[in-house]
This record gives sequence, structure tokens and C-alpha cells, in this order.
Amino acid sequence: MRNRHLGFVAAAATLLAAAPLSAIYERWTWLIQCAVAVALIAGAATLARSLRAPLWAQLLGMAATLLLTLTIMFPSGDELLFLIPTPDTFSHFSAMTGFALDDMRSYGVPVPDRPGLQFITVLGVGSVAILVDLLTVSMRRPALAGLPMLAIYSVPVAVYTTSVPPLPFIVGAIGFLWLLAADNVDRVRRFGRRFTGDGRDVDVWEPSPLAAAGRRLAVVGVALAVLVPLAVPGMTSGLLTNVGQGGNGPGGNGRGGRVDLFAKLSGDLNQTAVTDLLKVTTNDPNPFYLRFGVAEQITNDGFKSLSSRGTSVNEGLADPRRNQPDDVRYREYQARIEVTEDFDMPMLPVYSTPIKVDDVEGRWNYDPGRQTLWSTAARSKNKKYGFNFVRADFSPAALRRAEIEDNAGPNQFIDTPPVQQVDELVAQVTRGKSTQYDKVLAIHQYFSEANGFRYNLVTEAGTSGSAIVDFLTNKSGFCQQYASAMAWMVRSAGYPARVAFGFTRGSQSGDSSDSKTWTLTNKNLHAWTEVYFGQDFGWVPFDATPRASVLGATRSAWAPDPDATEEPEATPGATTGPGADPTANPNTPQDEGNDEADLGAGLGDTTPTQSTWPWYTIASAIVILLLLALPAMRRRFLRRSRFRAASTPAGPAVASASGGVTVEVDVASAGRAREDAHAAWAELLDTMVDYRVPIDPTETPRATADRLVKNGLVGGPATDSARLLGQAEERARYARQPLQGGRLSDSLRTVRRAIASQAGRRTRLAAAILPPSVLLRWRLAIVEASIRTVSTAGRIRDVFARWSPRRLLPNRR
Amino acid sequence: MTQQSWDELGGALSSAEFRAASDAIVANIEQVIEGKTASVRLALAVLLAEGHLLIEDVPGVGKTKLAKALARSIDCSVRRIQFTPDLLPSDVTGVSVYNQETHDFEFKPGAVFANLVVGDEINRASPKTQSALLESMEEHQVTVDGVTYELQTPFMVIATQNPIEMEGTYPLPEAQRDRFTARIAMGYPDSNAELAMLDVHGARDPLFALKPVSDANTVRRLIATVRAVHVADPVKQYAVNLVTATRESPELRLGASPRSTLQMLRTARAVAALDGRDYVLPDDLQNLAVSVLAHRVIPTADAQLARRTTDAIIADLVHRLPLPHERQRSPYDNRPSTGDGRAQYDQRRN
Repeated sequence: MRNRHLGFVAAAATLLAAAPLSAIYERWTWLIQCAVAVALIAGAATLARSLRAPLWAQLLGMAATLLLTLTIMFPSGDELLFLIPTPDTFSHFSAMTGFALDDMRSYGVPVPDRPGLQFITVLGVGSVAILVDLLTVSMRRPALAGLPMLAIYSVPVAVYTTSVPPLPFIVGAIGFLWLLAADNVDRVRRFGRRFTGDGRDVDVWEPSPLAAAGRRLAVVGVALAVLVPLAVPGMTSGLLTNVGQGGNGPGGNGRGGRVDLFAKLSGDLNQTAVTDLLKVTTNDPNPFYLRFGVAEQITNDGFKSLSSRGTSVNEGLADPRRNQPDDVRYREYQARIEVTEDFDMPMLPVYSTPIKVDDVEGRWNYDPGRQTLWSTAARSKNKKYGFNFVRADFSPAALRRAEIEDNAGPNQFIDTPPVQQVDELVAQVTRGKSTQYDKVLAIHQYFSEANGFRYNLVTEAGTSGSAIVDFLTNKSGFCQQYASAMAWMVRSAGYPARVAFGFTRGSQSGDSSDSKTWTLTNKNLHAWTEVYFGQDFGWVPFDATPRASVLGATRSAWAPDPDATEEPEATPGATTGPGADPTANPNTPQDEGNDEADLGAGLGDTTPTQSTWPWYTIASAIVILLLLALPAMRRRFLRRSRFRAASTPAGPAVASASGGVTVEVDVASAGRAREDAHAAWAELLDTMVDYRVPIDPTETPRATADRLVKNGLVGGPATDSARLLGQAEERARYARQPLQGGRLSDSLRTVRRAIASQAGRRTRLAAAILPPSVLLRWRLAIVEASIRTVSTAGRIRDVFARWSPRRLLPNRR
Repeated sequence: MTQQSWDELGGALSSAEFRAASDAIVANIEQVIEGKTASVRLALAVLLAEGHLLIEDVPGVGKTKLAKALARSIDCSVRRIQFTPDLLPSDVTGVSVYNQETHDFEFKPGAVFANLVVGDEINRASPKTQSALLESMEEHQVTVDGVTYELQTPFMVIATQNPIEMEGTYPLPEAQRDRFTARIAMGYPDSNAELAMLDVHGARDPLFALKPVSDANTVRRLIATVRAVHVADPVKQYAVNLVTATRESPELRLGASPRSTLQMLRTARAVAALDGRDYVLPDDLQNLAVSVLAHRVIPTADAQLARRTTDAIIADLVHRLPLPHERQRSPYDNRPSTGDGRAQYDQRRN
């Protein structure tokens, strides 16, 4: 039965269309589950159809099969006979859905095998299988089945903001085309006999030319869909980056199991609208940055976060003031934060260093090492909480005394992958510096505009294969690169460093007597470097990103803005502590959208080719212009050579020979005169084509010239010129002796001018820039070449088809 | 009877002499036929192309007058046959009569033994009689009772006929029609020409006052000149293409014969010479195509139902057929280049 075959194709096509999901999962477990579910559904559909069940019954049967499959695959333990779903099963399913939603929020792609996600996947693919089966087999509308398939494909597209691998798309497209082809073959077979476009019967062993055309179209369509985006500069980042880049540098995406700050925030950051995320009210007059995350582990893939540790906030927080050095001032402040629903993460932003957190709902833990609040269950969305914090105010002098105990402190923060260029650079930058602070400061100051660093939202692709070397070479990037690179260099110098994530100060939205209110948006998202200065000082923040480019950025006394050393207002900051720039108005409009992409991508995965696209664009524009100019140049060349031919001094005019009276004529000059006439005539024809005067291949030269005169295209002296050209050509073609001594080039010029004067402005412009004569000739050449190719290919195919084993089938035709 | 061999034409004329002689004949005829220069020149061209002319039109437009004017303008033997339904072939070709004095059969030449034979209302005779002209027209000879008699040069049959729809007419058989080089229609004169005709013809027929301006000898030399006109290869190719196109046209049941190719090229030579050229142009062929080809072809039933005249079909062909290009192919000929038409035709047949 044909329907059975079609049902099988529908199921297979659904699975092929699910191929893009492979980009999301780390492993292939989902595919096995989906294959089982789809196979069961297809089986149920076949069974229902063989029982001649009506459409609704088929649908019901398939839906029931999907439900049973889900029940068996994701049991809650309360099912009857492990098979029949109970109300508990459904609540279990809804819980699974909830887990899936949570997982979607907390995992970056690719995700590990999580039951919730797998549940959603099987449910989705199963539903699509039902739809595809119904649309294809029962309703015979396979084209519509593409829509649910497309829905599957849209999942990775939505998850990957940059681009998705093309191969799964091709696989999915093949599935869809297979579906269409199977349906059409079935449709055609109902007529009883295969036929071709030219009315000839086709043998069974012979591929139908009509189907061949369809196949060719399909291949071309899929190839275009994959290749065309490659040609568009803005769309190449994903694929080309994947292909051409050796490995990610620091700041790459975290791996499954841990919250990935970059991937997590990219969704928020990739929207063009400015969204309010937090509202902070604090009595700190100059608050520094809010922190919520840290990336401390450096691998070949870049910086990434380790798992958070710590104890519940309810057990109290450590106070760093217990062993405070003399010249580090600590001041205690209060802050209250309201989180909007747009900031939804398993972590809460706090100022460092929090010593007391209250009023916070849910179970939150405090990681003393990272000084962050985190949770496994609760989310930051819509939370309101208050906390007390102490702000350390380091002085350069104090930091110079800092020492790191060899066996204490976070030494795992020193490891870096060996990159020789970085080590050399660090040695060069820190040469002559003795203390840790001086070295770190030298590295910090190294990222100045004086050294050629500039803030740029798009980064340039490098060729070194190492993202950090690329950044240090190109000296163009944004906060993620600055923070990661500085952390790397500090580590390379032998001191612990890490990357902190958080918010810059934001814009002031309220001001009461003792506290100020700041509104933080997605534009305030930021990353900076923290350097460990021993147990006494702890982690000291250094923000290497150019301050002018980051909305709400501040500078501290110990880490002055390397680009603002000349500015007077930078120095008073040295005495007033962190956020030392009282004149810096946070509302100052700075570089809008600066951090749009800041946190969205780390140093490593933002080495796309984008920043070079201006050059590509200019180069391709020049190439396109050259290509566009090619026809005009070709035309000019043709015209010049023909004019040269037409204006060569031909032999003396010879009286036309007639009545068998032979005239002594130089054969060579006659031949030349003939060629000249042909050249002049070809030029006239080209001119006519250029100026959109129709050309009639059935017309004789004389008739063409007459037509030009009759249609008023040439007049006055041009009339004679046109006739002369026609006469010269007809004599060159048909007479014993060509016309000699005519001033063909002058006539040509006259006629050309006359025709041009009759043409509209657009026609004249087209004739000058894109001469239709040249284009037409090229097009014809291309058409002829392709016809030749196609016919040759057809002949070759026929030869091979003759050897096809299908020819030996018994029931030919 | 002095028999002149067909090939003894005499020397070719210079272009000036040719022009003078031909213009004289044309001007002479135009004294009688006003406003029909094209027809007159074509008639003369057919004479110089050693062909025969069929003038077909409704009664009263001057068919016979043109024929007679041409005959009278040339000082040569002229015979006129009035074709009637009871005309016999022997009246045309001649008959052997028993001479009692010599006790022998004596051949009495028929009407075809002349330089110019005017066959009036040719389609009123039965096909049997019409067929009497077949041999003489093509082979310039008459065979009666087993004896073959050669005809003189120039030899031209100028026949007039009414359109076949008219009453009391027999259609000419295809073989007969194919022997006529060209068929021309007189058409009604325009009003000026008709007015002038009233003035001139009002009192008496100017035909009687017409004096010969040329003789057979001159005409023979004119013919010799026409034979020397140059035909370039592309023009020959074009003639072949044109005729081939009539054979391939889906609207025609019977295409033109190779004889028509020959006659068309000959007439084109004559036309070119009359035009003062020593070479044939495709224009000449285009202008001649309808006159030379249209009366030979037979339209299909469909074309007839669609009321397509053969004239229109041939004219269409001429407008569709591209000129053969001396070099490979015109860049503006956008039809697929799959060889010549003949090959396509054969392919389709297979």
C-alpha cells in the first residue's frame, strides 16, 4: 500500500528535520528517544489507517501513542502497570516542563542530557511527527508539513544568536524534499505511466527528465540557501568563525552544568531596547560596581566560572574588617536593591564586600571567595533585598606593601595556558617594577589609548590563532576583552587575577538626603579585572576598559584611568577613594549601547570577521564597480577598434563594375574595405542595440538603413550617412567589389549622434554605463555555453543510463 | 523558320546601354498602363529572366493590356491565344496537316511559335489544353507527332487569368503553375492614375499607337547581361533558406520546388540589373518572394480555414527568416543555433 510507504517517509522526514537539534545537545540520547517516539507514532498511524479509521481517530491514536511513549520514557512512578498515565503523571509532566524551562534558562548550549529538556524534545518532535503524518498521508498536503518541520529548525536558530551550523539544515531540507518527492511520485504513479516533458514515454530504468529538473532545482535551492549567507558579510561570523578559528580564547562559553554568564546574558544584551534591570538605593555617596559573577578558571577555551561554594546567607557573612591593615579604610554602608523581572539569574548582585544580607526570599548562599550571592533554586527575578557592605578604600602606598603568602591564597588563579607572546609582553611592560602593585598598575596602564588600544564593540579577527594575542595585536575590543586580557597578563606576571561581572554605577534616578537611587540597565552590564593582593587586601578591582566608553564607569584611586592622567579631575579621586570622580555625571551620555555586546561574548568567541568587513565591503564594492564597468569598457574597446577600422584610408573610389566589365582593383584593399564596412555595420548595429532601437535579423542592411530614416531616428545629414553605411555593408556582403573611399567613420559618428539624440535620458545613460549590446552578447554566449553543457551532460547521461541495471527489469514500460 | 539556339544571346550590354534599353521598354509600357511601375518592371524582369508571367486579377484591371503592351514594345513575333473552353491543345502547339501538293504531312506551327505568347484567360480552357503549354514553357520546345521543334529566344508566355473563384474557370494544375516564374496581380489603379487613364484612353486605346522600342536581338543581349549579374553565396543561401522555409512551414501543404529557387534567383538577377546593380541583394529576393513563390504553394486545410492566403503566408515567412550571415552568425539572432532548418525538419520527422 502506497500510504504505508508515504507514512514511513513522513516519519523519516520528521527525524531528519529534527537534525538541527543536534546543535543543542551534547549527546545523542534525545535522538534515540525521538526515533522511538516517532516510530511508534508512525506505527500507530499505519495501524489506524489500515483499520480505515477516520481522520480524527488517526489523530487520536497518534496522540495517545505519544502520551504513552512519554509516560514510559519519563515515568513518575505512579502509573498503572507502568503504562497508563494517572493524574500524578500529568503533574509530573508539568513539573518536567518546569524543569525544562529552568534548564533552558540556566544552561548554555550545548546542554547535557536533562530529563526536562528531553521530555520537551520528545514532546515537540512527537507532535511534529503527528502533524507531518496527518498533513502528508491523510490530507496529502506535504508542502504544509514543512511548517512544523520549520518549527523544529527554529529552535537552534533561536538559541544560537549568531548562527547555526549549516549541515543539520541541509539534512532537514533533504528530509522535506524527500517528503515532497515521495508524495509527487505517488501522485504521478496514480496516472499509471511515467511520462516526460516532451511527450515521450520513459522506460523504467530511465530517470525521468522531469524529475531530473526537479532534483536539480532542489539541489540548487538548498545550495543557495546555504551559500548565499556566506556571501553576505554580516552573516558570515558564525560559520566562518567556526571553520576558520583554531580555538576560543579567554572568556569562552561555560560548559554545561554551570551557569554560563556570557550565554545567559546574551539574550538580555542582544536587544536594542534599553531595559531597566535593577534599582539600587544606597547611602554610599560614590558606589563602585555591583558584582554578581566571577570567572576565575582559565583554560584553552578562555575564562569560565567554577562552581560556587559557600554557606547560606542566613548563617552570617564574614566581615573583612577583622584583620584590616592600617592604611586601608573600610566604611560601612547600606544598600537596597529591587530587581525587575528582566534580570532573572540564580545570583544576586551586591556591592563588595557584603557583610549582612536581609529580607531576601528564597535560599541564597554566599560564596566568600567570590563574594557573590548564589542559589540553586531561587532566581533573582523580582527580588527585593537589602544588604550592608563595607567598601575598602585602598591606597597605592598600602597596596605596594602587599605580599602574597606562597602557600596561602587562591593560587589556582595564577595558571594560564602558555602563550609566549603574552609572557614576553608582560615582562616588557613590568620591567623595572618591583612590587606587585606597580606591576599590576603597569599592566593596567598598558591598556591605554596611548598604546593604541581603543574601545570597539566589534573585534577584529586575528590570524594568530590565539584570541588574547589577537586582542593584544589588534588592540581593539570591549570590556570583556580588556578584563580578560588584563587578568591573563596579571596571572602571567605571577599574581592571582580573575574576571568579575556586574554593573557599572548606572544613572542616578533619585536623591534623598542620605541616599541615592541608581537605575541600572542592560547598558550598564560590565566586566572588569580583580587582582588578589594577599589576605589583608583581598581582591582589588582594576577596570582596564577605557572609562569614556563605558556608561557609568568609575575609577578608583589605586587604578587611575590610564587615558585620563592629564585630566585634573582624575587626581582628586586619589583622596576620595573608589569612584573617585565626583564630577563624573553618571547621566552623561556616553557611547550609547557600548556594552550591548560586552558581556554577550567573551574575548574568545568574539573574534569574528565582522570588524574587517569594512575592508571587505570596500574591496567588494570596488570589485563590483569594476565588474559593472566591464561592459562599458568592452564596448569602448570594440567601438575604438571598429572606428579605427572604419577610418583607415581605403583605396581610391572605384567606379562600380557592371555589365561584365572588369575593373582592376587591388584585391587586398578590397578585402580591407570589406572588413571596414563590416566593422562599421557591426558598430551601427551595436549602437542601435545600445539605444534600444530594435534589431531585426531578417532585415537587410538597406532595409535597416531605410527603417532608420523612415522612423525619423536619423535625419538631415545623418540620412545620407545611414544610407551610406547600409550601402557599404550590402556591397561588402553581396557585391563583387566593396564600396571604397567612403568616409564610414564620419558617417558612423553622425548616425550615432543622431540616434543618441532621439533616445531618452535613461536609455543614453544605460548605453554609456551598461551597454545592452555587450550584455546581450555575453548573455547569449552564456546561454549557448549552458545549452552545450546541458546537451553534453544529457548525452553522457543517456550513455550511462543504457548501462543501468534497471533496464533488465522484466516489466519494462 | 530561323531557329535560334537558346544560348546564342550575343554580348552583354554595358550598364548604361542596359539601362537605356530597359528604361525605354518600361516607359513605353507605362504609356498604356498608368501607375503600375512595379508590375511593369516585374513583367520585364520576368522576360529578362527567361521566365513566364502569370497575371492574375479580377476582370477589367488591365491584365491583357499589360501583356499586349509588353509584346508590342518589343519588335518580335507575338502571338495571342484566347483560351476558351473549346480550345484544343493542337491549337496551341500546332498540327500536322496533309499537304496534297507534296503528298506529305506538313507541320502548321501553333500559337506558341513566337517570341511572346499572350495567353488570355488561360484558366478558361480545360486542363487538357492548358497542359499543352507545359513542354514549351519549360523546355522551349514543342513535340508534335514525334518531331521536336525548338522555340525561339526570347520566348515568354504571358498568361492572364481570373481568380479561380470566378465562374467558368478551371484552376491551373500545379505543374502548370510551377512553370510560371511569377504571378503578379494588377490591382486597381489609384484615383489619380484612373483619372489620367480616363483622359488618355477616353478617345482611343493608346495601345494601337504603341511603337516597338526594342527588338528580339536587344532583348537577347539584355538577357545575356542579366545572366552575368553576380550572386554572392549568402544570397544563394538565403534563396535556398526561403524555399526550404516554404517546405517546412506548418501552414503549407506543398512547398516551393527547386525550380522555383532557380527562377527566383534568375528573376532577382533581372531585377538587380534593372535596378542598375551588378549584384543581387537579399532585398531583391524579399521583394520577389511573394510574386515568385505564392502561386506555387498549397496551403493546408487549416490555413485555408483561417482564410490565410498564400501571399500572406509567404510574406510572413520572409519576415521571419533571418538573413544568412556572411560571418558565423548575427549576434542578435537569438534563436538556438541547431544547424540548418533542413536538419530540424528531418529530426522532427523522425
